[in-house]
Amino acid sequence: MQALHFLQALARIARAAPKPAHSARTRQIRHAAYASMAHSSRSSRRTWSRALLHRLRQRQQQRPGRLLTVRRRVRIVTPITSRPEEPARAETLRQLVPGGRGMEYCNLLEETADYVQCLRAQVQLMQTLLDAFSS
Amino acid sequence: MSGSLNGNSASSGGGATGAGGDDFFDQMLSSLPSPWADLANPKSPWDLTTGANAPRSGEDCGGYDESALLASRLRQHQISGSGSPAGAKPMMLHQMLMSAAGRAPGGGAGAGAGGAGDPSGFFPLPLSLGRDDVEGAFKSPNGTGAEGLFNGYGGGLPGAAQANNQPPFHHAQQGAPMPAQNFGGAAPNAGAQAPAPAASGGGAAAPPRQRVRARRGQATDPHSIAERLRRERIAERMKALQELVPNANKTDKASMLDEIIDYVKFLQLQVKVLSMSRLGGAAAVAPLVANMSSEGQGGSNGAGGSDSSLTVTEQQVAKLMEEDMGSAMQYLQGKGLCLMPISLASAISSATCHPRASASHLGGGPAAAAAHHLILPGPQAQPNSNNHVNPDGPSSPNLSGLTAQSAMANGNADSHKDASSA
Repeated sequence: MQALHFLQALARIARAAPKPAHSARTRQIRHAAYASMAHSSRSSRRTWSRALLHRLRQRQQQRPGRLLTVRRRVRIVTPITSRPEEPARAETLRQLVPGGRGMEYCNLLEETADYVQCLRAQVQLMQTLLDAFSS
Repeated sequence: MSGSLNGNSASSGGGATGAGGDDFFDQMLSSLPSPWADLANPKSPWDLTTGANAPRSGEDCGGYDESALLASRLRQHQISGSGSPAGAKPMMLHQMLMSAAGRAPGGGAGAGAGGAGDPSGFFPLPLSLGRDDVEGAFKSPNGTGAEGLFNGYGGGLPGAAQANNQPPFHHAQQGAPMPAQNFGGAAPNAGAQAPAPAASGGGAAAPPRQRVRARRGQATDPHSIAERLRRERIAERMKALQELVPNANKTDKASMLDEIIDYVKFLQLQVKVLSMSRLGGAAAVAPLVANMSSEGQGGSNGAGGSDSSLTVTEQQVAKLMEEDMGSAMQYLQGKGLCLMPISLASAISSATCHPRASASHLGGGPAAAAAHHLILPGPQAQPNSNNHVNPDGPSSPNLSGLTAQSAMANGNADSHKDASSA
């Protein structure tokens, strides 16, 4: 499911008309990677996948008007002050995992596990494709 | 638990003057957990009639025999390793102490009873406080002595806390400075002792509620039960994460968290770099696919490209796909095949496929299998000094990206692939 989505997205990018700039293409591919991750059947019910899709959409909307982009509005979420029982690095983890801000530590760990799994699958997929199509 | 004591003393405060000392004992002992009660009963710690068994010879509270006895008894129990039940007592005493000590000004150096630095050094203090009450109110050392003592706990400690203001006892005038001094002397000890019994108590005694004191390691407090559940859940998830992340040294939680964070960052970086490297690949995907498929089906299919082998391959791939997409892709790739939607295949096959010169291999480092080399695509094979191929454009940024990618991918791709396919 993940692979299918990604391949389709890649094909779309490849077909997209005049070769865009290096950086734009990179961005598009990365976008496609994360989108396919979020759309995979295993993770569509996860918090991080929704947050990731949200983030992707925001970025897409931001892109066109780059000069006058308003910084995306700050969401009023549970205060990011470190909750007492968590270890110190939990805040870093929250920033890494999409949607990690509003979660409790317990759920954060679970989401991280799922996110790591999906990330790994995505990376494997991309590497395999790269190897397969570039030899 | 201090609340329970207070409650008991308050309830029996009125009737404590008379008989019913045994009732009070029973009340108290029944409220304690059974081990403690079992300990208490046979040894009868509160039996004041037994001789002066005072290891604490340094008591300067001259006539405080009962208090010394009680102190010694309590200390014996504590030392005899009766665990938390014994710790419960000092815990309760502590709480009363702490609550009272907060209000009492620090006096001079406590009496030798208070300042001996003994683990039970603070024992004589409340006992001496109660002692005042006993002496004053009851004047009967035996049966009701301890009861009066505990009576004094409820009324004595808070009372003694305000000893400076108004000594509540009849003739506590001379006793008041004494407790105050003992407070001052014992407060440092109490402060030092507070963590130790508190830790053994498991925090169940902290909220002053009337409940049975739980044994060590358990708690009847719903908050601590929830806490325990939460901790267990967190530990469970950490274990699951440990299995996912490659370097699971099973060390402490902090380093495990760091490991997880680094791994997530690494994966995200890999996605980023792979997407960079695919720039030429994305363009090359379309035509190459057709090449690959035709070649794969044609002759380079290791085992001999007949239709039967193709169906076998298909079945294999279907089986693999059920478990893991990545391994399925690897299998295909090993055979020189690729998987794609039919619409794409038809679209591609209709396009003109111009052969692309294969790029040079990058970094043939510690790769286990040849198939796992990371090969960068390129429109033309332009060997640079570093043997890198630039898809297009200037060299420097691409070089840095490619170098990073090759270094990272070659070093880690194999391990990850192996780990994932295992």
